[in-house]
Amino acid sequence: MAKKQISNNYNLQAAKNLYLEYLEKGKESKIIDLPPDTVKIDDLNRKEMLDRLYRLVDKVLEKIYNTGRPSIELPSRSSTNIIWDEENDLLLLGKQIMEKQFHTLTSVADITRLMRVLEVVNELLNEDIHATKREIFYTDVNLFQEQKNSDKSIEDVATMLYTTRNSTHIVAAPKGTCVGRLRIRDRNDIIDLEGLGSGGWTISPMLDNIEIIESDAEFILVIEKDAAMMRLAEARFWRKYPCILLTAQGVGNVAVRMFLKRLSKELNLPIFSLVDSDPYGHYIHSVYLRGSKRLSYESPFLATPNIKLLGVLTRDLDKYKIPQEVRIKMNKQDEKRIKDLLNEDFVKKNKAWETDLKLALKLKIKAEIQAFASHGFKFLTDRYLPEKLTTGDWI
Amino acid sequence: MDIRIFKKKDGGVVQLIDKEDMKEWPIELPLIFIEYIKSKQLDNYGSVKKEVEKYLDEIMEDIAIPRLVSVLEGDDNEKIILALTRIEEISRKDIDMAKPIKKYLPDLLKKSDKQIVKLAQTISKNFSNAERKKELAQKRKIMREKEKLFLEGKISGEEYAKFRREYLTLKE
Repeated sequence: MAKKQISNNYNLQAAKNLYLEYLEKGKESKIIDLPPDTVKIDDLNRKEMLDRLYRLVDKVLEKIYNTGRPSIELPSRSSTNIIWDEENDLLLLGKQIMEKQFHTLTSVADITRLMRVLEVVNELLNEDIHATKREIFYTDVNLFQEQKNSDKSIEDVATMLYTTRNSTHIVAAPKGTCVGRLRIRDRNDIIDLEGLGSGGWTISPMLDNIEIIESDAEFILVIEKDAAMMRLAEARFWRKYPCILLTAQGVGNVAVRMFLKRLSKELNLPIFSLVDSDPYGHYIHSVYLRGSKRLSYESPFLATPNIKLLGVLTRDLDKYKIPQEVRIKMNKQDEKRIKDLLNEDFVKKNKAWETDLKLALKLKIKAEIQAFASHGFKFLTDRYLPEKLTTGDWI
Repeated sequence: MDIRIFKKKDGGVVQLIDKEDMKEWPIELPLIFIEYIKSKQLDNYGSVKKEVEKYLDEIMEDIAIPRLVSVLEGDDNEKIILALTRIEEISRKDIDMAKPIKKYLPDLLKKSDKQIVKLAQTISKNFSNAERKKELAQKRKIMREKEKLFLEGKISGEEYAKFRREYLTLKE
């Protein structure tokens, strides 16, 4: 019976209809109107970034000349200053400002690290090169002591310059991969993402060098796991169903989320996520959807508010007869995470999502994407995904 | 700039970068882009193939050629070398794509920079080889016809030998 269904031909009508809807609506406005009580940040080019950096340093120097007690002001990144903007469906940073004094014992280490990072940013921008967060840590191990300290200073520098972290030329290590019906330009090279084998293209964190030049894809599928990505890549899923596949191997880092945002903005295609049916999977989807709390100041440049949760939904487990032996019982931590998600305003607003999370909490069951392998290795590519994209069974 | 959208009859789409965005590209890249789309993608475009082809011609005329000309007619030898290196690569893959620079070769061959002259010579050679190949293909076709006619007794052995000699000379 299952084999007979697998041979069905799916036309992906629901996904196509969604795309036509997007085409009619046109591309999303390049300027998002942010609420007045939130911080607005800019994605800057090298020259603009240097100008802003010099203005900040001038301000500090001015304070030294005038008062002898310099300080730096920057938006607070504490959880009390994170606001969910219902209209744009984004997590944003509020306008609470904190002041870091150069002369107090509590902030002297902090401010020294901050200044060191500013110095490195200046160097990177002048040389027009990029460095990873790890490299920044190694520029002064004695000062930073642990990488979490240099990471924090990097985020502080981006916040106080009111810009994205990528504008500072400090980038995360390459993590995600992308494959499918897409051609890009990386400086002097044209890269065909269909012709790179199953491994695909490693998403470059130096996105300012990347330009989208051609695509005949009709949708984008963001996959939580490498193993599922491999299954789809091996099946050359994009050949039968014109699409772009992308994975970050877990939560999307800045480069992956920024690249997805760019694809969404420039190609205006429907985007779907395929994650495990567990609280972490739902969390990963939420980070793509509206940004993370930690990087809330960058949300307008990182979040993709039109992404749909295609699966694996809790209701899919029964619908697709996932055997009991491949379902996993939730632990206390999972239950807590589900409850935390249910308390989020953005989940409360989305009834279908809330219902699915409540069902997960009621059944206390989770499952991985790989659970579909219990119906055969091709079930995911030949039945589950095409059927859902044809019927529009997503959240 | 916005990406150019070509809507297919089957509901699919092809999206290509706006030609205005190519003004910032390295000068030889628009040519490489055109060649790439023509050779690798165009056949998959179905109902919009002609429309895309027209757009590629537009890119060639409005962006690729004027940018190449501005460099080849200029005095910056470094830029000329960079452009000629990529054009030489293109001329080896698809000689028709390199045609726009053919008329600049005589002047480039007169330049004092040895590297420019060497690259211009190689490109000229690639043009000659391509022309020879084309001529040879034509001769081969004629040769086959003549062979047929000779076997049918419709032309003399002398006439056949004349064509054969011409063909072999060209082949060598």
